[in-house]
Amino acid sequence: MSDQQARRRAGGGRSGKRASRQASQVKALPFIERRIPYYEILDPAGLELIEHNADTVLEEIGIDFRDDPEALTLLKQAGADVQGERVRFPRGMCREIIRKHAPAEFVQHARNPERSVTIGGRRTVLVPAYGSPFVRDLDRGRRYATIEDFRNFVKLAYLSPGIHHSGGTVCEPVDLPVNKRHFDMVYSHIRYSDKPFMGSVTHASRAQDTVDMAKLVFGDAFVDNNTVCTSLINANSPLTYDETMLGALKVYARHQQATVISPFILAGAMSPVTVAGTCTQILAEAMAGMAFAQLVRPGAPVVFGTFASAVSMQSGAPTFGGPEPSMVLYVCAALARRLGVPFRSGGGLCASKVADAQAAYEAANTLQTAALAGVNFMLHTAGWLEGGLVMSYEKFVMDADQANMLGILLGGVDLSVNGQGLEAFREVGPGKHFLGAAHTQANFESAFYRSPLADNNSFEQWQEDGALDCEQRANRLWKHLLETCQDPDIDPGLDEALQDFMTRRKAAFPDRDY
Amino acid sequence: MADDDFEDELILSELSDAELVEQMHDDLYDGLRDEIIEGTHILLERGWAADKVLAEALVEGMRIVGIDFRDGILFVPEVLLAANAMKGGMEILRPLLAETGAKPVGKMVIGTVKGDIHDIGKNLVCMMMEGAGFEVIDLGINNAVEDYLGALEEHKPDILGMSALLTTTMPYMKVVIDALVEKGMREDYIVLVGGAPLNEEFGKAVGADAYCRDAATAARTGASLLAERRAA
Repeated sequence: MSDQQARRRAGGGRSGKRASRQASQVKALPFIERRIPYYEILDPAGLELIEHNADTVLEEIGIDFRDDPEALTLLKQAGADVQGERVRFPRGMCREIIRKHAPAEFVQHARNPERSVTIGGRRTVLVPAYGSPFVRDLDRGRRYATIEDFRNFVKLAYLSPGIHHSGGTVCEPVDLPVNKRHFDMVYSHIRYSDKPFMGSVTHASRAQDTVDMAKLVFGDAFVDNNTVCTSLINANSPLTYDETMLGALKVYARHQQATVISPFILAGAMSPVTVAGTCTQILAEAMAGMAFAQLVRPGAPVVFGTFASAVSMQSGAPTFGGPEPSMVLYVCAALARRLGVPFRSGGGLCASKVADAQAAYEAANTLQTAALAGVNFMLHTAGWLEGGLVMSYEKFVMDADQANMLGILLGGVDLSVNGQGLEAFREVGPGKHFLGAAHTQANFESAFYRSPLADNNSFEQWQEDGALDCEQRANRLWKHLLETCQDPDIDPGLDEALQDFMTRRKAAFPDRDY
Repeated sequence: MADDDFEDELILSELSDAELVEQMHDDLYDGLRDEIIEGTHILLERGWAADKVLAEALVEGMRIVGIDFRDGILFVPEVLLAANAMKGGMEILRPLLAETGAKPVGKMVIGTVKGDIHDIGKNLVCMMMEGAGFEVIDLGINNAVEDYLGALEEHKPDILGMSALLTTTMPYMKVVIDALVEKGMREDYIVLVGGAPLNEEFGKAVGADAYCRDAATAARTGASLLAERRAA
């Protein structure tokens, strides 16, 4: 290679610069390494009080483990007091089991090893929204989701550098039979992304299918000793675990697959109306579920989950982005750190029906809180609308923009010689400007985050560009992303094996809508 | 303080009929169950027919509660108290209504569908229906087709209500409705469905009479569809 050629490549002239400046400048990292402190709102005495009260709830009131005799047996053998389906835990029992066995952090392997994530410690993994039956976009409005929508959101997550995970039920493909849709969902994550994914939890057999499909990707032995799947197990708050969730939990734990044990709280309806009361319940429920997972298989990775919304006392509707759920989040993040397990919460939560100002500020409130609090696994980061009933195309790319920014914020302040910038002062001095300084020339491209959506132009230029609002610009962006999407490579043999597995399993039992 | 309490104290039995009915509307509004029970007894003792007490004192009182709930004046916990007070009055009136052959407001069988144990919404519907004077037979959670069929057979309600929170359980509503159709029973009942993942389109698709977006709507819709049916 001659010097001349090398120099040409380094510059590239107009065409090279146009290409690089219009592409996303966000460096895709597998996850965020936090370099700023945690934000905490309770002192140790306050946290100890919540822990004490949670133990009181576990000891005095207990948790129902419904329709799962095996679970009751395991819990009884471990020392819990089991009366019917009510399980009461001696003070400290859950904490001791969790501290002894549950890993403080774990690696979830991705199909592409460069995308594997570490969940726990000072890392944050940002994950798409989960579970909505509806989708919305500016062109077609609100409608039930299909498998095509599902694939689209998998692709959008794949294409978003700030989203580290492919998620799970990115929307519910209601056009497929209930008892078989999980095959196409898991396949879509594997085929159209190379980021890690979440598995089916709606039946133990569907969890098993997820594990079996993962084995085709990673190999039998690898899957049984490594985590390739992180799945969402909700407590049926208040103080209840049901057969479906316990069934899926057991399958995943037995195969060393991670579960996010998440109390799902609409405070005021499913927990007391106070922050401290809600935190107490969340800790009690999460500890009971995580301890149970350790009884199924000691060392199975678990994540302390928290989903908290406040119910409007006026109407009964869930609300988002308010101060009380933010306080719950800060407290629970601190409780998880004290317990020594990874923490899940947060996301771009909002109650708005469309991707408007309400959606943006409610989502920003929760995203910021979750980032500052120290969430390790941030489910619902992108796409969430209308209390989770709707996955929005426009909101997805708006939230993904926020996700990029959170990554930078959590990365902290660069205190290197270059970061300190003293050379810039020496060069410029008083009364001039920095735009042309050598330090600026060396750093300007990556110095400040550039949003693909925010419009910072003059009024006149904005008008010339069509006077589009943010939702309209987001509409253009997601369409552009999908139109230009190049699916990740997949080994044709693996693809065939997955297709063959699905065909065989789908033929093994009739379609059913429950 | 004690003096104030004394001043506020009303002797219900000393009020005229009109004053008492008005007071009962206020007591329902304030969720005072004991006072509603007492007022109901007083009106009956004065020779009021059970259906007149029901219509003028209780249902009218709850209508006002409904308006202020809709307008955001009354909050959910207060409406629950009001419904509970209404229920107290209804427990006295129901056997009398049956004796006199007066048309009861209506009867509903309700439960969450198979696979779904999320029942907070369903419980709110029960409360609102009872608040509107309906007799509610609550089948609880996780109901299979046979549970619904058995309860319909046993209680002969006017309305069947089904709810679901999960996208994976909501299609079971169609399984139940298809079974009703198959047995030639579908037209015997008004079928109301509800739950967060549902919408109007889904309600139509599964063959329900109506999708109700919240508990208050369920009570309103149940009452109006039943009135239409009785008028037809």
